[in-house]
Amino acid sequence: MRSGKLNPARGPGLAARWGRLREDFIRWVTRRHHADGRRARVSRDRVYILPTRQGYMLLLILLVMLLGSINYSNNMAFLLTFLIVGIGHNAMWYTHRNLLGLKATVLPVKPVFAGTAPVLSLRLEETDGRPREALQLAAGAKAGPPAYVEAQASAEIAIVLEPRPRGSYRLPRQRLSTRYPLGLLEAWTWLTLDSEVLVYPVPIPAASAPAAAAAGDGEAATVPDATDAIPDEIRDYRPGDAPNRIAWKAVARSGRLFVRDSSAGEAAPTWLDWDAIQGSDPEYRLSVLCHWVLEAHASGQPFGLRLPGQRLGPDTGPAHLGHCLRALALFGRPGSRPA
Amino acid sequence: MMGLLTRTWARPPELLGLWLLLAAVPVAALPHAWEQPPWVFAVLMAAWLWRLLIHLGNARLPARWLMVLLVLGGVALTLAEYRTVFGQQAGTALLLVMLALKLLEIRTQRDIVVSLFLAYFVIITTYFFNQSILIAGYSLLSAWLITAALIQVHGGRVLPFARLARASGLMMLHALPIMLILFLVFPRIPGPIWGSPHDTPTGQTGLSDRLEPGDIAQLLENEATALRVRFDGPVPASSQQYWRALVMTDFDGRGWRVDRGRPEVPTDGAAPGDVAYTATLEPTRARYLPVLDFPVGIPGQARLLDNLQVVTPRRIDSRMQYSGHARLDAPPAWPLSAEERARALALPADAAPRARLQAGLWRAAHGSDDHAIVREALRLFAQEPFRYTLRPPLLRGDRTDAFLFESRAGYCEHYASTLAVLMRAAGIPARVITGYQGGQWMEAGDYLRLRQADAHAWTEVWLEDRGWTRVDPTAAIAPERIETGLSGWFGEDADAPAFLRRSGLPWTVQWRLRLSDWHDLMTFRWESMVLAFDPERQRELFARFGLDATDWRSVLIALGGSLGGLALLAGLLALLRRPRDGRDPAQRALDRLSRRMRRHQLAREPHETVAAYAARVSAARPDLAHPLADFARAYTHLRYAELDTQQREDFQRQLWRALGEAKT
Repeated sequence: MRSGKLNPARGPGLAARWGRLREDFIRWVTRRHHADGRRARVSRDRVYILPTRQGYMLLLILLVMLLGSINYSNNMAFLLTFLIVGIGHNAMWYTHRNLLGLKATVLPVKPVFAGTAPVLSLRLEETDGRPREALQLAAGAKAGPPAYVEAQASAEIAIVLEPRPRGSYRLPRQRLSTRYPLGLLEAWTWLTLDSEVLVYPVPIPAASAPAAAAAGDGEAATVPDATDAIPDEIRDYRPGDAPNRIAWKAVARSGRLFVRDSSAGEAAPTWLDWDAIQGSDPEYRLSVLCHWVLEAHASGQPFGLRLPGQRLGPDTGPAHLGHCLRALALFGRPGSRPA
Repeated sequence: MMGLLTRTWARPPELLGLWLLLAAVPVAALPHAWEQPPWVFAVLMAAWLWRLLIHLGNARLPARWLMVLLVLGGVALTLAEYRTVFGQQAGTALLLVMLALKLLEIRTQRDIVVSLFLAYFVIITTYFFNQSILIAGYSLLSAWLITAALIQVHGGRVLPFARLARASGLMMLHALPIMLILFLVFPRIPGPIWGSPHDTPTGQTGLSDRLEPGDIAQLLENEATALRVRFDGPVPASSQQYWRALVMTDFDGRGWRVDRGRPEVPTDGAAPGDVAYTATLEPTRARYLPVLDFPVGIPGQARLLDNLQVVTPRRIDSRMQYSGHARLDAPPAWPLSAEERARALALPADAAPRARLQAGLWRAAHGSDDHAIVREALRLFAQEPFRYTLRPPLLRGDRTDAFLFESRAGYCEHYASTLAVLMRAAGIPARVITGYQGGQWMEAGDYLRLRQADAHAWTEVWLEDRGWTRVDPTAAIAPERIETGLSGWFGEDADAPAFLRRSGLPWTVQWRLRLSDWHDLMTFRWESMVLAFDPERQRELFARFGLDATDWRSVLIALGGSLGGLALLAGLLALLRRPRDGRDPAQRALDRLSRRMRRHQLAREPHETVAAYAARVSAARPDLAHPLADFARAYTHLRYAELDTQQREDFQRQLWRALGEAKT
């Protein structure tokens, strides 16, 4: 879905048109880059550099200095002017080198609840043996505070992204830039490091969470599944099962991974049901469900989540929580969108 | 109510580089403290202090209306001082005031950057007043501080000073080649584009265009360098080095006035055997050039007048370097016009009656033998008790008579003037020349240093068979003065200035003099290497490479060539010093294999082990199975086995051989 891109491109105003032009231009400039995945190296062919306003200001001052030197035929004035010209010129490759060769790895973005801003962190690695100062990361309209990396070391650089409504997003294109050392020029690179930004619905406490008994209607009986074939409330390990539930004795005996199945034998699981919530607004229902899921997880009791067309659990543990929250985030919005 | 000083205001947010700015501003402005009226520096320091207090939380940023008032006040003060805000002095004063006020206005990092740019500008205005090597070194220090501050502003965090210092120093060091190339190649235009380069004259130094008894003796205290000379070839004897500056023909009974409105004459042109020299003249604020007697070749921009005086078209307001040729003992034999003869014989009617009487006696005794009369005069000086002294008594009445018959103690100008009057009284055309004679030979720099103190006056007389002939009465009275310079005569004189004396000096003075010599040497080098570079020298430099400095295409070629060469050199250096790319040799070999196989869609997947990869490729290309197996084995050993150096080398060789055999 290419049309659902950046918001600024939507509006009718001049600023919007400018934003669109700019976006097209950047896409044209970066057309030969391929998407970066999780890790990228700032190579020579993707560092861009242009003078800043300060750079132009110094240029103007140098011009005046030069005119003065010529007018007064003052050799020392010539020398100083040309010294600063040399410094300004060299600032170009100083700035360029401050960015060049850095390796950036995107760290998984922690999912957030709607209304909270997700934080994007990159780990920057320096392997060329020179300290890098004053690096700035920007994505979308947000720019972060300057960060630095010592020689042969790594550091994290983070920015707070725009808060987003519920859903799953791809990271916006990142811009890693620097004006070190003199601020006369800015070197930058476009990164398309990829990571999913998951935004859960904002939890809304509802009057009453369903009690375990309340969910004990007919369907609950169907939950314990075929793994019952193995006695002693033990079943095969499934990805996502919590490590503390691994039945080590059974593993030792058989060489297969087993987990204790808490869904059997323990208290009957709680069912958190979409249909149990009054109200027509699906977002409201999701928010309430979100709150229930968090509560149920905190209680440590097994719970299941029932959404139209989907059923998760019953189960316990952080993996299950994650699956449930993801289902709530993605409900009605399959696939990720560019953030 | 709390007092002003105990009251504290919210400290403004910490701005990066503010401390360094506060350090750099006084450093950059300091040389102006001697050139600008005191209030300028007072304003700067007051603003500086205010800013410091703001920074410490003891004061507030001035309100906007106050800033407007301060700016208007600054402009008004400058106008009151200079009646203008343009030109070097006024412009510099205004710049300093604006920098001061900018300090009070700093709210963001951008303001700091603007202030630092202004500070760069402050350095350059220093050179309006002073271009010495000391100032050059000092401005390097200022520029280094300013650059360090700029780096700190953009450092993103508080950087350790050592790192700033190093970074700033390195940036300046790296800028030197570009500076040098631009300095040499950037097209030089002679003369100013607008206005006069020096709009504020200060008093003339050195020789003046009027000579009265006592004038040159006054200069004896002045140890400032007037002229530095380097000879191309053998150095003439000191007694032959007369540096001719001003020629004076008109005498009014008290003193001599320099000739004006003399016609220009062509030079003879240098011939083999003439003395060639290059001189650097300190600014004189006058138009004469001291040249070695007798000038036959003069610098291109100067003119030779018929009294053998050399003048420049423009006043010499900055140091000037020029070259010339001299024929030591052969004055040009031009005829003397009747008008000129009358002028060179003129004496005011009431001047020097006793001297006239004496001259009449000589003339009666020797008839028409002018040579004999000159000899008589010199004999008079040598045999009568004349003294050559720094502190002659005051002369009363007619100066010539009072000196000749009463005080008989004087300095070179007394003798030169008196001799000229005697000659005129005897009917021999005569004139007075002022210039420099003697000087100090600077072994270390191989140059002659003439101070203002070496100023000298002598006489020229017209002899029918020889033309204008130099007669130096000082040589008759104090031959050491002429043969070995001032210190030859005054070396043992306790009244003489310290720099002339040869003994009896405390060590502090000796050190000061040694330092002064060293400084003069440095200045000389600085002069001849840097300050003397002008359009003329640039042309010579270009010509050496077969280029024409006046042709813009040549300039472009030179600029492009030298900067391109520099870039090439820098690139080569960077290539040589390029760090190894982090991968070990085994990894490099594997990457190369994978790249080679990419053409056949057989690139290695990131998750594939080398063994698995080799197996997969072998399945697709059975012909490569053998080398690939070798490759995988060698690779695995290199990566994972514990090997000694010998084994490691063996496996590496195997690895590369296998890579070579796995050609597709």
